[in-house]
Amino acid sequence: MERSFKREVQQLRLGANQVFRGEGIVAVAKALLQSGVSYVGGYQGSPVSHVMDVLVDAEDIMAELGVHLETNANEAAAAAMLGASINYPMRGAVGWKSVVGSNVAADALSNLASPGVIGGAMIISGEDYGEGASVIQERTYAFALKSGLCLIDPRASLPTIVRLVEEGFALSEASNCPVVLQMRIRSCHMQGKFVCKDNVAPAIGTRRKLAEPAGFDFDRLSHPPATYRQEKRKLEQRMPAARRFVVERGLNEILDGELGDIGIVVTGGLADTVLRRLARIGLADGLGGSRVPMLILNVTYPLVPEQIAAFCAGKRAVLTVEEGSPEYIEQQINVILRKADLQTRVHGKDVLPGAGEYTAEALDDGLAGFLRAARPVGYDLNAVESAAARRAAIKAKGRALVPVELPPRPPAHCTGCPERPVFSAIKLLEREIGKVHVAADIGCHSFAIFAPFNLGHSILGYGMGLASAAAVAPMQQRRPIAIMGDGGFWHNGLQTGVIGTQYNRGDSVLVIMQNGFTSATGQQYLPSSTTSRFDAPGGMDIRRTLEALGIGWLRTVRTYSIAKMVATLREAMATAYQGLKVIIADGECMLARQRRLRIEVAERLKQGLRVARARFGVDEEICTGDHSCIRLSGCPSLTVKTHPDPLRTDPVAHVVQSCVGCGVCGEVAHAAVLCPSFYRAEIVRNPGRFEAWRARFNRRAIGWLAA
Amino acid sequence: MTPTTILIAAMGGEGGQVLADWLVLAAEAEGLAVQATSIAGVAQRTGATTYYLEMTPWPKDGRTPVLALNPAAGEVDVLVATELLEAARAVQAGLATAQRTTLITSTHRVLAMGEKIAMGDGRVDGAMMLRACREGAKRALLFDAEALMAADSAALNALMLGAIAASGTLPIAAERYEEAIRERGVAVEANLAGFRVGLEATRGGDAAAVADIRLPDSVEQVVALALPRLVDYQDQDYAALYRRRIEACGDLPEAVLREVARHLALRMSYEDIARVAQAKLRPERLARIRHELGAEDATPVRIHEFLKPGIGELCDMLPGFLARPILALARSRGWIGRAHCGMEIETTAIGGYLALAALAKTRRLRRWTHRYAVEQELIEEWLHAVRGAAALSPALAMEVAGLARLIKGYGDTHRRGLGNYRLIMDRLVLAALAGRAEPELAPRIARAREAALADPEGRALERALAA
Repeated sequence: MERSFKREVQQLRLGANQVFRGEGIVAVAKALLQSGVSYVGGYQGSPVSHVMDVLVDAEDIMAELGVHLETNANEAAAAAMLGASINYPMRGAVGWKSVVGSNVAADALSNLASPGVIGGAMIISGEDYGEGASVIQERTYAFALKSGLCLIDPRASLPTIVRLVEEGFALSEASNCPVVLQMRIRSCHMQGKFVCKDNVAPAIGTRRKLAEPAGFDFDRLSHPPATYRQEKRKLEQRMPAARRFVVERGLNEILDGELGDIGIVVTGGLADTVLRRLARIGLADGLGGSRVPMLILNVTYPLVPEQIAAFCAGKRAVLTVEEGSPEYIEQQINVILRKADLQTRVHGKDVLPGAGEYTAEALDDGLAGFLRAARPVGYDLNAVESAAARRAAIKAKGRALVPVELPPRPPAHCTGCPERPVFSAIKLLEREIGKVHVAADIGCHSFAIFAPFNLGHSILGYGMGLASAAAVAPMQQRRPIAIMGDGGFWHNGLQTGVIGTQYNRGDSVLVIMQNGFTSATGQQYLPSSTTSRFDAPGGMDIRRTLEALGIGWLRTVRTYSIAKMVATLREAMATAYQGLKVIIADGECMLARQRRLRIEVAERLKQGLRVARARFGVDEEICTGDHSCIRLSGCPSLTVKTHPDPLRTDPVAHVVQSCVGCGVCGEVAHAAVLCPSFYRAEIVRNPGRFEAWRARFNRRAIGWLAA
Repeated sequence: MTPTTILIAAMGGEGGQVLADWLVLAAEAEGLAVQATSIAGVAQRTGATTYYLEMTPWPKDGRTPVLALNPAAGEVDVLVATELLEAARAVQAGLATAQRTTLITSTHRVLAMGEKIAMGDGRVDGAMMLRACREGAKRALLFDAEALMAADSAALNALMLGAIAASGTLPIAAERYEEAIRERGVAVEANLAGFRVGLEATRGGDAAAVADIRLPDSVEQVVALALPRLVDYQDQDYAALYRRRIEACGDLPEAVLREVARHLALRMSYEDIARVAQAKLRPERLARIRHELGAEDATPVRIHEFLKPGIGELCDMLPGFLARPILALARSRGWIGRAHCGMEIETTAIGGYLALAALAKTRRLRRWTHRYAVEQELIEEWLHAVRGAAALSPALAMEVAGLARLIKGYGDTHRRGLGNYRLIMDRLVLAALAGRAEPELAPRIARAREAALADPEGRALERALAA
C-alpha cells in the first residue's frame, strides 16, 4: 500500500479519555470500533480509501475484538454484505467513493433498505465533490430520497464526526434504516483531535459466534408480497422513527442569533465555513457564536418538518445552504413552510451557485446576495459592500500581476509508470494506420486523456471501457481499442466487458493494464496481486481467467517494450481473427516497485552485493529542442531547460534526477526514430571481479585512443 | 478573533502532507488550536496539491474556535509554494496579498506538461512570476530549494519548513519545529538537517538570484562563438566561409545581422551522423555523466547510445551522385521514414568507442557528401532572401532570418521542420521577393512560423497559410 498506517493503527488502540490526533477518515475508523461493529468492508476510492487501509493494517486489533474485515470485490458486494444486519442484531459498516460507488451498489442498497435492518448498518460515503474530485459531479442525496436511507453530513470537527458515527448506528437501529455518513474530501483529510472511548467488542462477532441462524421471516426478504408491506412501513413507521430520534438526540444544532428576522439552514459539513464567512462581515464571533440564527443539519435526510417550521416561524427570510443540484433541501423546506402556512421567503440557489463546491468565495457572494435581499433589521449592509469591493480589488490585482493563463497541472502518470508507454505505442500506431477510437476507463490510465497523449473518446465508469465500445466496434472500419486496468477488470470489467463482448462475438481490441494494484486509489491489493493482506498471493490470474473464458487471441506484452507493443497492437488491428483480441500490458506499478526496490537495494549495498542503477540522459549538444520525445513520452522526469548553447533559443530536453531508468526514453527514441541524443548510463556498485577488470580495461584503452 | 492562515501549494510526491503534519504538531506544542486539511489529489505524482491550515490561541473562556477548511482570497497569512508557477498561481488568484501575506516559495521550476510539449519555447515567463511574487506579497522569501536539494541532498518539505521558521511569521517558537520533526518520526536526522539548511539559507530574507543564460547581444559576440564552433565542426576553411558570408551581409541592420549570424552558425553546423558521433565521444561528456551519477573513480559506468539512422541519414553521408538515385528509389518505394538501421552502441566499451570514432572521422569527407551540397544551397538561398527582404523592410528581413528556427531535429522531425520552412519560404517569402508583395507580410510570416511550431501535424500552419 502507498502509505504505512503504523502511526494511525496505534491511535485505534486508544482507550477512554485518551486523545486521538489525526485525520478525519481515521477518526471514523476509530469511531467504528468504539461503536461495537461486528463487521466492516468496502471498496477503495478517494477520499475514503484510508478507512479500509488503516483497518487492514490493524487486523490484529480487529481480531482481538472479533470484528470481521472484508475487502469487497466491488461496492455492490459491500452493500450486499450489509445484508447481515437484516436478520441479525449486528452493527456493520462499509465504505466507498460516492456517487460512483453508490451507483454500483444501488441494486443491493435498494434491497437492503426495503426490509430494513435490525443491527445498525452504515455506509461511509466519500463525497467526491468539488475541488479535487475525480468523478462525475452528482450528490448522494438522491439515493437517500429514493431508498429511504438516513443521510448524515456531520459538521467538520472530529468530535462531531465521531459522535455522529456512534449516534448514526443508534439512528439506524431506531429507524431500521441503513445510514449513510457523508465524508467530504476536506473533512476526510482534516487533521484534528477528539477524546476517545474504549473500543467495544461486538456481542456477535468472530470470537462470539451464533449457534443458530435466524428463523425464517418473510418480512426480511425483499420479495412480494413482503415488499408492499415494507414500502408502507418505511413511510409510516421507519421515517417517523428516524425523525423522532433526530430531535430527541439533538443531532441537528440550533444557534440562536440576535438578527431574529432572518435565518440560515445549512448542511452540517458546510456550517463551519459559513460561520467563518459570517465572521468576515461581522456576523459571527469565530468562536461558534452567530448573530444570524442558524439551523445546522447534521442529518440532512430525513428532515424534521416540525423543526424546520419552528426555526422559520417569525422570520421574514431564510437562506438554505446545500451544495449541488437539484436543491433537494430547499424544495422540501418550501413544501414544509407551505403546509405550515408560514410566509417566510426561502432563498438558496437564487443567490448561491447550483453547481460546484461552496468555496469561501461562492459563500461570500451567496451570503451577500441573501443579506441584500433580506435586509435584516439591525445590520448595516455596508460591511457586505466594502468586503465585496475589497475582494474585487484583490482579485484584480492578482490578475494584473500574473496577466497570462497559467498551464494547468493535472495528475499524470508517475516517473517510470508502466502504463505510459502503452499510450506512446498507441500514438505511434496511429501514425501508421490513422486515428483510432479509444474507449477509456477509470484508473491511472485515464490520465492518458491529458497532454501529451490526449487519447480517449469516452469514460463510462470503472471497468466499463470494453463494454462502452460494444456499439462503436460494429460501426467502424478500424477496430476500437478499449482500455481496462486490472482493478477495473476484477471490479466488473470481466463480466460487463470481456464476457459481454465474447458472448456477442464483438470484434474489439482490449488492452488490460496489469500493474498488480489498484494504483490510483493508493495501491491496494487485487485478486491478481503477487501478494495480499494475508501475505500470500491472491491466486487469481487474469491470463488464466481469460483462457478459461475461451479468448482465442491473447498476448502478454511487457509494457516497456514499445516496439513489441506497437507490433502487437498492429497485429490486433489487422488480424483476420474475428472476436475479442486481448493484450495484457504487463508492468508493475512503478511507485510500488520503487518502494520495494529502495529497501532491497539498501540491503544489498549493505551486504556488499552488486547493484546496478540506470538513468537516462539527453546530450545537450545533440538535442535541437524540438521536444518530440516529450510529446511521445510524457514522463515527469523528462523536461526541458534553457539551452546551454548561447546560440540556441529553444529549450533543450533534459532528464532530471528523479529518473528511475525504466527505459522508455530509449524505447521511444528508437521506436519513433526521434533523435540520437538519448543515452542510458548505468552505474554499478560492488561490481564483480570480471566486471571491474573490464571497466578498467575499457577506460584505459579509450583513454589511450582519445589521447 | 482571526486565526493565522497558511496555504501550502505543492505537487504530488513532494511530502506536502508531512510538512502539514509538522506544522500541526508544532502549533499544538505551542498550545494553539490548529486544524489542517488538504486536497491531496490521487496517488500519482506531479498533480497540484494544496494543504490549508488555520491556527489560533485557545480562547480563555473555554469555547472552541471555528476553524475553516477553505482558503479565501486576501485572507492567507503565509503562502508556501514548492515551485514558482504554483506561487504565481496563488498570487493570480488573489490568495497572496500585499496587505497581509508572507510568501515563501522556491524559485525553481517544475514545468507543466503544456510548457514542455511546445515545439519551441512554451515556458511561462519566469521573470514575470518572480516579480508577481515580490509585488503580490507583504513580504517575499524566495529561494532556490532545488539547488539546496542537490547540494545538501535535503528533502524539499524539510527545506520549506526551515524557511517557514526563518520567516518568523507564525506564532510558533523556532525550537518547536525541530520537536515536531522528531515527534512525526519520518527520516528524523535527514529532515532535521534539511530543516537547518532551509533555515540558514533564508534567514537573510529574499535569497533568489536569477541566473539566466543571456543571449549574446552583439554581432561580434555571436561571431566569436561561431568561429571556434565551426572549426570544431569542420576546419579553419569552413570558419572562413562563415566569416565571408557574414561580411557579405554587412549592409543588414545590426539586429537582423545578429540573428543571421546566430542562425548561420547553427545551420552551418547542421547535425549529421559525424557530428553526433563527435559529440558522443567528448571526454568532458563522460566526465559530466560520471559526475551526475555520483560515480567515484573506480566505479564502473556504462553508457549506451541509441542511434537509428534511416535511409535519409545514411544517404547524407554519400556523395550526391550515389545519394540522389538511392533517395529517388527510396521515395518512390515509400522507404523514407520506414527503413532504419537501429543500433545500440556502448561508448564506454572499446568496440563501441571505435565504431563511433570511425563515424566521427567521416567528417573529413563531409564536403563531398550529398547533405553538404543540399545544406549549402539552402543556406545561400536563405541569405539571399534575407538580403532581398531587407531591401523591402528591416522587419521583413528579421522574420525571414527567423524562419531558420524551424529547421531542427533528426529524421521525421527534421523532414517536417524543413517541409514547413519550405512551405513558408515558397508561398510567402519568395513570392514577395518576386514582386508579388502582400501587405502585412512580416506579421504573416511571424504567424506562420508560430503556427508551424504549434502542432506537429501542421494543421495550424495550413490554417495560417490559408488565412
